[in-house]
Amino acid sequence: MAVLDPPVPAQRRTEPPPDPSPPPKARQPRQIAPYLFMAPAMLGILLFVVIPAVLSFLGSFFSIPLAPGADWHFVGLDNYQSIFQDPVVRKAVRNTVVYCVITIVPSLAIGLFLALLAENLGRANAWVRTALFLPMTANLVAMAVVFRYIFSYQGGLANQLLGYLGVAPLNWLNDTRYSLISVAIVGVWRGAAFTMLLFLAGLSTIPAAVHEAAASEGIRGWAKLRNITLPMMRPTLVFATVLSILTSVQVFDTINVMTPNGGPQNSTLTVMVETWQIGFSYFQLGRAAALSFLLLAVLIGIGLLRRGAFSADQR
Amino acid sequence: MTATLPRTAAGPAGRRQASGMTADDVARIVLKIVKWLLIAAAIVVSLFPFYWMMRTALTPQSVSVASGNSLIPHSIDFSSFSRAWRGAHLTKTLTNGLIVTGSILILQLITCIPAAYVFAKVKFRGRGLLFGLVLACLLVPSQATMIPTFIGINIFHMADSYSGLIVPFFTSAFGIFLLRQQMLSIPDALLDAAKTDGLGPLRTLVRVVIPMSTPGIAAFALFSVFTHWNDYLWPLLIARSPDLATPPLGLAKFQSADIGFDYQALAAGAAIITAPILLLFVFAQRRFVQGMGGGEVAG
Repeated sequence: MAVLDPPVPAQRRTEPPPDPSPPPKARQPRQIAPYLFMAPAMLGILLFVVIPAVLSFLGSFFSIPLAPGADWHFVGLDNYQSIFQDPVVRKAVRNTVVYCVITIVPSLAIGLFLALLAENLGRANAWVRTALFLPMTANLVAMAVVFRYIFSYQGGLANQLLGYLGVAPLNWLNDTRYSLISVAIVGVWRGAAFTMLLFLAGLSTIPAAVHEAAASEGIRGWAKLRNITLPMMRPTLVFATVLSILTSVQVFDTINVMTPNGGPQNSTLTVMVETWQIGFSYFQLGRAAALSFLLLAVLIGIGLLRRGAFSADQR
Repeated sequence: MTATLPRTAAGPAGRRQASGMTADDVARIVLKIVKWLLIAAAIVVSLFPFYWMMRTALTPQSVSVASGNSLIPHSIDFSSFSRAWRGAHLTKTLTNGLIVTGSILILQLITCIPAAYVFAKVKFRGRGLLFGLVLACLLVPSQATMIPTFIGINIFHMADSYSGLIVPFFTSAFGIFLLRQQMLSIPDALLDAAKTDGLGPLRTLVRVVIPMSTPGIAAFALFSVFTHWNDYLWPLLIARSPDLATPPLGLAKFQSADIGFDYQALAAGAAIITAPILLLFVFAQRRFVQGMGGGEVAG
């Protein structure tokens, strides 16, 4: 923003007319430059995003051997059929949906609350925001290791706190009733930091004039939040929701470290973990491709919802 | 700042002025105290796992399980750090992390900056279409392309090598997008001036565009570094031999190999691999929040 400084360049522009000859001559070779400039990036995108995404779709109709050079074997819709009939996959889908709901709803609510709290803190602004945002930068494997200790049955902090309240210790990570919740707590801890950052950015786009108008009308507190702040933050709300869904649907690191192999009786088995197991434990790459393509289709659908919400907003 | 505004606006409310402090003032002070208490609580929750990580790492191994957890350790013991260093092969894994993260960062900057520049500031045929492709790729999560990429890496015999860890990330659609947003704000007049001064596209990029987009470049560099330093899934797939393990992978392997549950050493290992990113972020946070938050919501 400070970069925008038009007066100086505008003056410079008027100076050079004395020699108008070079630009027209130089125009011809310059046409190649833009393509050269973006060629490496586009090559990377083609090789590692576009082609794999297409292959992921095509591969889902094949039985794929891991050995390089071996033949792919066309199996039609068999992969999809076996995935839809697989009770483990069904369980993974159910777990993923539950995980998303119990992670996203609290992290959006907490993130919004924190952003409203941390919006105007004067000199303490930067430090408070940094402290609240740090969970987002944490290494998930490291944090999973720490939380695993906090949730451990013996000597874990969580059970110690329950003990102070007179509640019997829970076997957080090894009890099918609590394992998914335990992992989701880490997701909320991190997710709230992320949504807070987005909401802070969203709040800063509300013009000062709106705040002044609200103050002079005597609109404050809850009424202001409901009638002014939230409606004006709609694009940010949609954006934060979509990004939260995208991260939660793909949860892998914390689950794999805190509850290895899908947890007790697959109680923390999510779609990503199941894709991983099918592909790299059972080496059924075709089936894994089918599952990951279905996941991609859902994610793109969610992404399109975001676009729809945005364009509806612009109207 | 905001506290002074309502006071002037609420002029007629000065009925109870005599006492020096109106009920409104009292309410405002109470509200302020509650607000700061809530902020303090939020900060405690947000930082607690980091604190607990350090506390656990510094507790002597023998004491911890027997006597429960006190908030502050009774005695301090640094030996868990050396156990972690050996157990997670940290000399090797940290070096690997540095090599992989550094190479990816350099490659991404080299590929993304020029591309972002032409998408932001140079008109050429097919620009809209190609940029549309970049935007579409933003929607595709790396996990969805994981299996074909893995097969491809295998076909080209890059599995279990540094190149297998680095090459798939040599460019970033997100990087192009973020940097382009930043570069859009460079005034066209300045680029025209560079052109009339006889600067070619490459020199314009190096002398004008890059210096003017440092906040965005810094933000993206930070983002790239902590995405790839923290990445777990892809190294788990590619780095089969222990010599190639990146920091999170080394820690995860240390944990699954650790039968006696030496939580102190695990916490020490977690602290060591978390520290570089944490410090980087604390020092650079202002730039990051500026470059990141602004651009993202605008798009």
